Amino acid sequence: MNDLEILIAGVVALMGVGLYGLLFTRNLIKVVVALQILVKGVLVAMTAAGEASGQLNLSQTLIMTVIVADTIVAVVGLAFAVQVKRLFGTLDLQALSNLRG
Amino acid sequence: MEDMTAFTWMITLPLLASPLIYLLGRLVKQDGPIVSHWAAVIALAITWVPFVIAAKELNDSGPQTYELGMITLRLDDFGLLMAALSLGLGTLVALYSGPYMSAESGQEKYYTLLVIMIAVMMGLGCANDLFNLWVWFEGMAISSFLLVAFYHEQKPSLEAGVKYLVQSAVGSALVLLGISLVLGQTGTLVLDDIRAAAADSDILLAAGALFIIGFGVKAALVPMHTWLPDAHSQAPSGISAMLSGVVIEAGLVAMLRALGSLAGVSDSWGELLMAFGALNMLAGNLMALRQTQVKRLLAYSSLSHMGYMLLGLGVAIYAKESAGAEGGLFHMLNHGMMKGLAFLAAGALLYTLHVAAGDHSPLTISDLSGAAQRYPLTALGLSIAVLGLGGLPPLAGFMSKWQIFVAGFDTRETWIEALVVFAALNSVLSLGYYAPLVNRVYRLEPSEIVRQGKPMPVLMTVPTAVLALAIVAVGIWPDLLRWITEPAGKALLAAFGL
Amino acid sequence: MTDWLIGLTIGLPWLGALAVWLVGDKREREQHTLAVIFAVAAGLAALALIPSYGDAVELRFEVGGFFGDFTFVPDGLGVYLAAIANVIGALAVIFSVDYMDGENALGRYYAMILLFIGAMSGLALTGSILLLFIFWEITALCSYALISFYNDDPKAVEGGIKALIVTQLGGVGMLIGALLVRAYLGDYQISTFLSRYGELPENTLTIMAFGFLAAAAAKSAQVPFHTWLPGAMEAPSPVSALIHAATMVNAGVYLLARFYPAFEEVSGWTTAVTIVGLVSAFLAALMALVSDDLKRVLAYSTISQLGYMVYAVGVGSVFASQFHLFSHSIFKALLFLSAGAVIHGIGGERDMKKMGGLGRQMPFTRNVFIVGALALMGIPILNGFWSKELILEHGLEDGPAWAYAGMLIGAGITALYSFRMVWLVFFDVPRGEGHAHQAGQMMRIATGILAFGALTTWLLVGSFGEMLEESLPFHGLHVHAGTTLIEDIITAQATLIALGVVALGLLTWWLRGSLGWLANGLRFVGTAASHDFGFEWLNRQIVNITKSSAESLRATQTGHLNWNVLGIVGGLVVVLAILALGA
Repeated sequence: MNDLEILIAGVVALMGVGLYGLLFTRNLIKVVVALQILVKGVLVAMTAAGEASGQLNLSQTLIMTVIVADTIVAVVGLAFAVQVKRLFGTLDLQALSNLRG
Repeated sequence: MEDMTAFTWMITLPLLASPLIYLLGRLVKQDGPIVSHWAAVIALAITWVPFVIAAKELNDSGPQTYELGMITLRLDDFGLLMAALSLGLGTLVALYSGPYMSAESGQEKYYTLLVIMIAVMMGLGCANDLFNLWVWFEGMAISSFLLVAFYHEQKPSLEAGVKYLVQSAVGSALVLLGISLVLGQTGTLVLDDIRAAAADSDILLAAGALFIIGFGVKAALVPMHTWLPDAHSQAPSGISAMLSGVVIEAGLVAMLRALGSLAGVSDSWGELLMAFGALNMLAGNLMALRQTQVKRLLAYSSLSHMGYMLLGLGVAIYAKESAGAEGGLFHMLNHGMMKGLAFLAAGALLYTLHVAAGDHSPLTISDLSGAAQRYPLTALGLSIAVLGLGGLPPLAGFMSKWQIFVAGFDTRETWIEALVVFAALNSVLSLGYYAPLVNRVYRLEPSEIVRQGKPMPVLMTVPTAVLALAIVAVGIWPDLLRWITEPAGKALLAAFGL
Repeated sequence: MTDWLIGLTIGLPWLGALAVWLVGDKREREQHTLAVIFAVAAGLAALALIPSYGDAVELRFEVGGFFGDFTFVPDGLGVYLAAIANVIGALAVIFSVDYMDGENALGRYYAMILLFIGAMSGLALTGSILLLFIFWEITALCSYALISFYNDDPKAVEGGIKALIVTQLGGVGMLIGALLVRAYLGDYQISTFLSRYGELPENTLTIMAFGFLAAAAAKSAQVPFHTWLPGAMEAPSPVSALIHAATMVNAGVYLLARFYPAFEEVSGWTTAVTIVGLVSAFLAALMALVSDDLKRVLAYSTISQLGYMVYAVGVGSVFASQFHLFSHSIFKALLFLSAGAVIHGIGGERDMKKMGGLGRQMPFTRNVFIVGALALMGIPILNGFWSKELILEHGLEDGPAWAYAGMLIGAGITALYSFRMVWLVFFDVPRGEGHAHQAGQMMRIATGILAFGALTTWLLVGSFGEMLEESLPFHGLHVHAGTTLIEDIITAQATLIALGVVALGLLTWWLRGSLGWLANGLRFVGTAASHDFGFEWLNRQIVNITKSSAESLRATQTGHLNWNVLGIVGGLVVVLAILALGA
C-alpha cells in the first residue's frame, strides 16, 4: 500500500464509523461525536486530495477553515444537546420524535 | 487588495452591521429590542444602495469580480438574482419581525443572525470557487440552525433544530468529500478551471453525486427533505418565510454552481434534476394534502415547488436551452414572494391568535375559520399567496409554472412533455389543499379563537401587502421580472459552459 | 371605438367587482346599487359591441417572451357569447338584489359574480389560446368561490372543491394544446393555429384535439366529467342561473366550436364528440327524470341540453350548436331564476316532493317558469323549439342514425321530465307547509325579461347566422337567410318526427297511471339513474384512493433522526447507482 491508499482506507474507515453512528446511535451526544468522526474522515480525504494533486497548500487552508466551521457546528450541536437534556430530561433520540407525519 | 466595489459592499455592509446590531441591542438599556430591530431594518435598507449600483454596473459592463488573496468573488446575473431574492425578502422579514418577536427575549441575537444570514446568502451567489461556495453555505447553515431553534425553550422547536443541524451537517460533510474528490482529480477549485480541466472520470461523477445529495439536503430534495417540515413549521414565522423562500433556494443555487463546474463530466445532470423534480412534486403535494397545521402544510408545499424549479432547470441543462432556466429562476423568485407571503400572513394570524396571548401551540386550519372577518387584509394576502402557489392565474405562480411548461414542450420530446403534464396534474392536486384553506379563511362564522384574537400590528400588514401587490403585478404583467430572470438564466447556462 | 367597447365589456365588471368590494359589507344598499349599475353598464357595452363583429380591430398587448401577445378579437362567436355573459349577468345581478337581500358577505358575492362576468367576456373575446386558458381558469375560480359561498355548510364546501378539481383536471387537456401550439407554431394566436394547423404532426394534432375535448367536457359537464354540476347546485340560485346554466358551462361548447375547423379531420374526433354529446344528453335526461331536487333536475337538464350542443358540433353543425347555446342560455337562466324565486319564496326548500300547488300563490313565477319549461321541451314557437329542431335536422342529415335515434328519445324524455317538474312544483296537491311569498319586484323584472327573450329570440336566427357566417373565416359556414331557415325547420321531416316524440313523452306523463307495467320493467334504469350511473361512485373512489395514499405516505415522516439520515445515505446510494449504470 502506498501513502495514498492508506489515506483512502482511513477515509473509508472514518466515514464508515461516522455514518454507522448516525444511522444507529440513539444518544444525541454520540450523534454529535459521529458527526465529528464523519467530518474528520473528510478532512483526511482532503489531505489525500492535496497530496494527489500536488496542491497541499490549498488543501491545508481548506482543512483549517473546515475545522473552524465544524467546531462551531459541534458547539451549537452540543448546546442543543444540553438544552434537550434540560427540556426532555433525556438525550435519547426516541424522545425527540414528536414531529411526524 | 483592490478597492471595494459595489457588490462587495452589498455583502460586507450587513456583515459589518451585524455586531453593531447586537451591541446596540445589548447596551441600550430600555428599548434594546426596538433599537436592534430598527438597526437591522436600517442596515438592510442601506444595503439596497450598493445592490442597485451593483445591478447597474452588471448591466453596463458585465460580470464583476473582486479578488482578495486566494479568494475571488464574482457577481454575475445569476448571483444578482440570488442577492435580490435574499435582500428583498430579508428586508421585509426584518420589518415584519418587529411586532412578531416583540415579546421574546434575546431579540438582538435574532436580528444579528438574520442580517448575517441575508448577507451570507448574497455572498453565496457570488462564490467563484468551490471552497468559497462551501464557506458561505456553511455560514448560512450555522446562522439558520440558531434561528430555527430560536424558541429554544419550546420542545418542538428544539427538536426541529436538532434534526436540521444533524442532517445539514451530514450534507455538508458529503459536499466536502465531493470537493476533495474534485481537488484530487483536477488540482483546482475555481469553478471555470474545473470545467476546463474536468475529464470524463468516475471520481468526478461521484463528486457530482455528492454535490447533488449534499446540497440537496439543504435544497430539500426528496428523500433528503425530512428536516424541512419540522424546521419550517417550528421556526419563528419570519424565519419560516426566509427558510422556504430563500434558504432552500440558496441550497439549489449552490448545487447548480457546483454542478456547473462538472457539466462536462456527464450528460445526466439535467435528467437527474428532473427526476428529483417529479419526486418532489408528488411527495410534497401528497404529504401536504392531509395536514392540519397551516405552517406544516406550507412547508410541504415548498417541497413541491422545489420540484417545479428543478423541472425547469433540469430541462434547461438537458436541452441546453436557457428557456427552462429562466422559467425555473422566475419560479424561484415567485416562490420566494408567494411562500414568503404565505408564511408571513399565516404567521401574522398565528401571532394575533396564539403568540400574542403567550401561546406557542401551532396554528391549525380550523383556527382560521372566518379570519377574514377580523383581519381582511391578512386573509386576502394569505389567499393570494396560496392561490398563486396553486398556480391560478392571473397570479405570479401561474406565469412561472407556465414558462417552465413552455420550455418543457419546446424540447418536443415525449417524455419531457409527459413530465410537464404530470407537473400540471400536480398543480391540480395541490388545489386540493390550497382551496379549502382559502375557503376556511372566508367562513361566515368566525371561530372562537378568531373572535378573541388580538389586533393586527401595522408593521406586519405592510410586508404582506407589498408582497401581495407584487404577486398580482407579476401575474398580470409576467415580463415584469424578465430583466433579471432572462440574463440570470443565460448566466446559469454559461456556468454550465453552454 | 370597438377596442374601447371590448375594454369596457371586460373592464366594467372588474371595476365593479373592485368597487363593491371596497365599499365594504357594512353598506349593503350601496353594494346592491353599485353591482347593478356596473353589471347593466357592462351589459349595454356588450350589446353595443355586437354590431362591430367582424371588424378587423383587435386589442393587442405585446407581453412578449414566453407569453406571446395578449389579443382580443371581436368576431361573431366572441361578441355574442360576451353579450350573453353580460346581459344574463346583469339580469342575475338584478335578481340578486331581492334574492340576496340581508345576506352576509355581499361584497364577496357581487365581487365574484362581476369578476366572473368580466372573465367570461374575456374568454369569449380573446384571440390568444394562453389568454383563453387564463380566463378559463379564472372562471373556474369564481365558480368555486360562489358554489362554496355558504361555506359554513360542508355540502357547499365539498361541491365547490369538486367543481374546481374536475374542471381543472379537464383544463390540463387545454394546457397541453396551448403548449403544443406554442412549441410547434411559436405563437398562441387562435388565428395562427387555425390557418397553420396543418404544420403540426398528425399525432400531435390528435393529442391536441382530444385534449381540448377533455377540457370542453369537464367545463360543460359532459359525461364522464359531469358529476360536479349537480354538486354545484349548493350555490345561490342566481349563480346557478348565470354560471352553471347560461355562461360558464357553455365555454366547453364554445371551445369545440371555435376550434372545429382544425379538428374536424382528426380521425375519430367528430365521432368521439358525437358520442360524448349523445351519452350526456341521454343519461342526464334520465337522471333528471328521477331526481326530486328542483335545482338538481335543472342541473341534469343542463348537462343534457349541453349534450345536444356538443352533439351538434360532432355532426358538423357549428351554427346549430351555437344557436341552441343562445336559446338555452336564455330559457335555462329563466328556469333557474324562477326556481330560485320559488325556493326563496318557500324558505329554502328544494325538494319537489315538498312543494306542489304553488302556482296559485305565485302566479307570475308560475307563468314565466312554464314559458321556460315549454322552451326546454321544444314546443313551438319558443326559442328552444327552433334551435333543437335545427340540431336534430342536421343530426338526421349528417350524423349517424343510431346517434340521431338516441337524441330523439332524449327529446322525449326531456318533455317528460319538464312536465313532471312543472306539475310537481306548481300544480298537484300542496305538500309543503306554510305560505309561499311572492317574488320580489327585481326578481320579476329579471325573469320577465328572460321570458320575453324565450318567446322572441328565435326571430334573430337570420342575423345571428349572418354574423357567424361573415366573421368566422376558418369555419366556412353557409347559413341560409332567416326566413328560409325558419321555413326549412317548419317543413323538415325531422321536425315532425321530433314533435311526435315530444308528444309521446307528454303522453307518457298523462298515462303514467296505466303505464305502471312499463315503469316496473324499467325500474332498474331508474335505480341506476338515481345513482348517477356509477359515475359518482367512480369519482369518490378516485378521491378516496388519493386521500388514503396521501395518508399512508405520511408514515414516511417518522420523526426519527436515524431514519432521516438513512434518507440521505439512501439518496446518495441511488444517485451513485444511477450514474454508474447510466453514464
